[in-house]
Amino acid sequence: MRSRYFKQRLFFGAVRLSALVITLALLGILAYILAHGFRAITWEFLTQSPTDSMTKGGIMPAIVGTLYLTVGAILVALPLGVVSAIFLTEYAKQGALSRIIRVGVNCLAGVPSVVFGLFGLGFFVVFLKFGSSILAGALTLGILILPTIIGAAEEALKAVPQTFREASLALGVSKWNTIFRIVLPSALPGILTGAILGVGRAAGETAPIMFTAAAFFTAVLPKSIFDEVMALPYHIYVLATAGTHIEETRPLQYGTVLVLIALVLGIDLIAIIMRSMFRRNKRW
Amino acid sequence: MEKDFIVRTKNVDFFYGAFRALSDVTVDFEKNKVTALIGPSGCGKSTLLRLLNRMNDLIDGTRVEGEILLEGRNIYAPDVDPVEIRQRIGMVFQKPNPFPKSIYNNITYAPKLSGIVDSEEIEALVEESLRQAVLWDEVKDILTKSAMTLSGGQQQRLCIARALAMKPDVILMDEPSSALDPISTAKIEELIDTLKKHYTIIIVTHNMQQAARISEYTGFFYLGKLIEFNATEKIFTNPDVKQTEDYITGRFG
Ligand SMILES: Nc1ncnc2c1ncn2[C@@H]1O[C@H](COP(=O)(O)OP(=O)(O)OP(=O)(O)O)[C@@H](O)[C@H]1O
Ligand SMILES: [Mg+2]
Repeated sequence: MRSRYFKQRLFFGAVRLSALVITLALLGILAYILAHGFRAITWEFLTQSPTDSMTKGGIMPAIVGTLYLTVGAILVALPLGVVSAIFLTEYAKQGALSRIIRVGVNCLAGVPSVVFGLFGLGFFVVFLKFGSSILAGALTLGILILPTIIGAAEEALKAVPQTFREASLALGVSKWNTIFRIVLPSALPGILTGAILGVGRAAGETAPIMFTAAAFFTAVLPKSIFDEVMALPYHIYVLATAGTHIEETRPLQYGTVLVLIALVLGIDLIAIIMRSMFRRNKRW
Repeated sequence: MEKDFIVRTKNVDFFYGAFRALSDVTVDFEKNKVTALIGPSGCGKSTLLRLLNRMNDLIDGTRVEGEILLEGRNIYAPDVDPVEIRQRIGMVFQKPNPFPKSIYNNITYAPKLSGIVDSEEIEALVEESLRQAVLWDEVKDILTKSAMTLSGGQQQRLCIARALAMKPDVILMDEPSSALDPISTAKIEELIDTLKKHYTIIIVTHNMQQAARISEYTGFFYLGKLIEFNATEKIFTNPDVKQTEDYITGRFG
């Protein structure tokens, strides 16, 4: 008994330690960015356009651009992903077709993001003539995060007890209504988790938007989904590599990183609050 | 008087993949009576029950042969919509399975989708169904509370009420009280007794006394075959088949 107790202590100790290491690493990175970036964060920085060849002024167009792109990507990927997951879990027989689709989705998840960028360039920007635009960028990012969302939605749908489906069908409710009124609401918290992960990814990616949506510099805000936008990750990339004043703009770079992180966490927070609200009355 | 059979099966075979779960089952269920299905575990009682409202459609790789008739119409004919069959033949499962919704919405869920929109009609339906399921007095003040907060016995009566709200002709019950305590079981048996005035009830049970107490007819199944079908009194006092007697007296199974 004593030795088992000891082993358990040891195991929990190891678990705690690794959790601690991860947390510390995360906090370390955050602290580093905060220390380097917080001086750059001023009201002007958040609300104005860059000036003086982007060595002064703010990053407002990039904030707005990233918001548009991220929201656009979710608008593309969430419905598509949920519908695909519904097809895979509720309709497709567990045969060759659904296996092929699953393999395809998994492959999509492993594709480097720059490939999505090139695909977006070739298909949305050039072939469909969207030009470098919010639309092309959001579609490209949407495809990028599609596997994440399909995966999470599938898991969430599978976690809904089969007895719910049976109970509903046995009442003479159609399969369609059973899915939309019973299964989907029960799966919503899990699906939102997938969306959260997707948002984080979409907001932070640079390569997919580089050729499809991101402008080096625009002082004005986009007027339609066919306009180019600045975006935070690309802006960081530009400041850190392509400018002539790389060292001078370091504080701006860290400030931009800080804003990007805050933005992602902010979006995550909204989704987490939504999820817990859904969960409150969905106990089984 | 000519007997009125609402559901009949004719030479029904049923396969899960290559496994034959039912062989040549022919049985007639009389209208507004309680019929009990008994037999040892794995003999195909649930399989037959789920065939009667096409719930086995949900399982991939199954196959039915023979005919199952609801008022003379084969419910497995290609032009029959299983949804319509399930509206007429309701089902109560072994484990209470209310939706994670309020008590009220558990009842109104299916009727609303089937097209009842009048709010007074809906409210009347809720009260009527809950009264029929002998649950009204216990829940009338907490209709908006989640059904998950009810006790197991109350949840099962809610599931019965939920099935009744669709006003089916037939109610299938698969060991509806096997997960419940004796008092809840007694309540379920009582309500079955009152329900049979308006509904045909087909019930699977492992409890011999329960079958004897509540049913008019009993079918004994063994290894996918209907061994004997008779009036309950006859089955439990003087069965025609030796195997039935052995089972009822506890000599096997
Ligand atoms: N989904 C399924 N796939 C394959 N075989 C199944 C499936 N469901 C049931 N069976 C098999 O069919 C036979 C009959 O099962 P069924 O559930 O109808 O028995 P039962 O009489 O209801 O038993 P119990 O009293 O234990 O509930 C069993 O041998 C069982 O293993
Ligand atoms: Mg069974």
